[in-house]
Amino acid sequence: MILMEEPPYSEEQFLNSKEEMDKLVADSLKGRKEPVNAMFGKLSEIAKALASGTVTWSRRNSMWPLQFGLACCAIELMDFGSARIDAERGGYLLFRGTPRQCDVMIVAGWVTKSMLPEIKRLYEQMAEPRYVIAYGECATCGGPWWESYNIIKGIDQVLPVDVYVAGCPPRPEDLFGAMMKLQEKVGGKIVENKV
Amino acid sequence: MMAETKINIGPVHPSTHGVLRLVVTLDGDTVTHVEPHIGFLHRGVEKLVETRMYMQSPSYMEKLDYVAPLCHDELYVSTVEALLGVTVKERAQWVRVVQMELQRIASHLFFLGTVLNDIGQLFTVFMWVFKDRDLVLRLLEEGTGGRMFYVNMRVGGVNRDLPPGFAEHACKVLDYLEHRVKEYEDYLNSSSIFMERMKGIGVLDSRKAINMGVTGHMLRASGVEYDARKAHPYYIYEKLRFRQMVENGGDCYARYKVRMREIVESIRLVREALHSMPDGDALGMPIRLIGPLPKEKEVVVRRELPRGEGMMYLIPDGQRPYRLAIRAPCFINAYTLEHLPVGHRLQDLFAIMASIDLVLADVDR
Repeated sequence: MILMEEPPYSEEQFLNSKEEMDKLVADSLKGRKEPVNAMFGKLSEIAKALASGTVTWSRRNSMWPLQFGLACCAIELMDFGSARIDAERGGYLLFRGTPRQCDVMIVAGWVTKSMLPEIKRLYEQMAEPRYVIAYGECATCGGPWWESYNIIKGIDQVLPVDVYVAGCPPRPEDLFGAMMKLQEKVGGKIVENKV
Repeated sequence: MMAETKINIGPVHPSTHGVLRLVVTLDGDTVTHVEPHIGFLHRGVEKLVETRMYMQSPSYMEKLDYVAPLCHDELYVSTVEALLGVTVKERAQWVRVVQMELQRIASHLFFLGTVLNDIGQLFTVFMWVFKDRDLVLRLLEEGTGGRMFYVNMRVGGVNRDLPPGFAEHACKVLDYLEHRVKEYEDYLNSSSIFMERMKGIGVLDSRKAINMGVTGHMLRASGVEYDARKAHPYYIYEKLRFRQMVENGGDCYARYKVRMREIVESIRLVREALHSMPDGDALGMPIRLIGPLPKEKEVVVRRELPRGEGMMYLIPDGQRPYRLAIRAPCFINAYTLEHLPVGHRLQDLFAIMASIDLVLADVDR
């Protein structure tokens, strides 16, 4: 177990020092009329743009789904990860067992009242930015279990859903399409995948 | 003796095959007590069916066991047929048997993939198996129009007959599968990891198996000769030659062995059925047609599903069921989870769980 060491300053000291720092910075900027180095400013701008682009690009191309299946659609989810569809060529790498390593949660199956707190907890454990795909009719709107007494009518009543996939169950190819839609949503231009 | 530890597994866990929660008490690394918690997928099918007309429900029944939907569909529709007093057309019986056996192959292949995935680093076989399973699903898709849920059974027959050219295509796939299954077996028999983790793990003796009411591969792996296809023959199973697969070990390996031999037997069955299938009409009543009024007061139908013996008990109330009770094989097989892992180590729990082959939707209904 890792124990956090006590910081060598109190909270009050820390806040005071922050205020002092801000004052110092403000003072130093007061007398200045033009940027020190225009070239340097431009460069940093470019670097910033490049960096944010790179982050988006890498985020988009390494979507790690959570290995989490509820019902029938989970079988198609397995098929999505297996040889014929081969999810890895789209950057949707191995399904991870722990939510802390994942970006995408694919809700595959009907959501019961007893399962709902667990799903919420899983979602909260995922690191931001996190995305949710409602895969199949049950996760989208309750599907055939609309009249059942134990079913949540769509996961979007609880979690913010990014992409909905229709079908009962949707084919694994549809999930591939949904992941591509999600990539578009995350940002950047997409090189067309030849499926 | 070390202090007892209680750990929680699930409901979301890569190895629980759905949403099953286990509270395991450990003494060191040895399991002393397992407490399964089920019901995370309960959606009240039996109640929902009471508000539907008979032929509106097969779709619900398919979602009971989503690895082998067609067999559950058939079980429900034949319950309705028994209730209405309808006999199935001659060719439709053959078509049903062909499709059910294909579904059994697909389901058993799925079992093989998941069991190997659960006992260790054998993800490769999972990939192979899913590729082969897809070929069988393609066959079923060709015959019924659906990839995973088929709803192909109608009262008195089927919705779609087998398409022309189906037999040739099926025989090609079956030849390939037979070859592949042999390959899998050779590969796994030479894998010491596989043998060490499966042999002598989770032994269920025949007496206990009968007392617990387990069916299907669990019962047959314990050395009891019982297969509903033989014991209560239905359709054309009497005409076809096939053996019921029995193993005496009662352990995980025996359960795997029963499944593998059943795949080979099912391949043979489909081939024989396709060869000697009569021509004729196989189409059942259209779904919109309001059927004849029930003739029986109550019916029970039993079928050999891929995961054990399934039964449905139906009491009619005019055009709707008054009560439908389902005997789900997985629910009863799941009882063994309390007893089999006791005395084994924690990692063997997953091998046992995989070999029981639960489908949680069938357990919870």
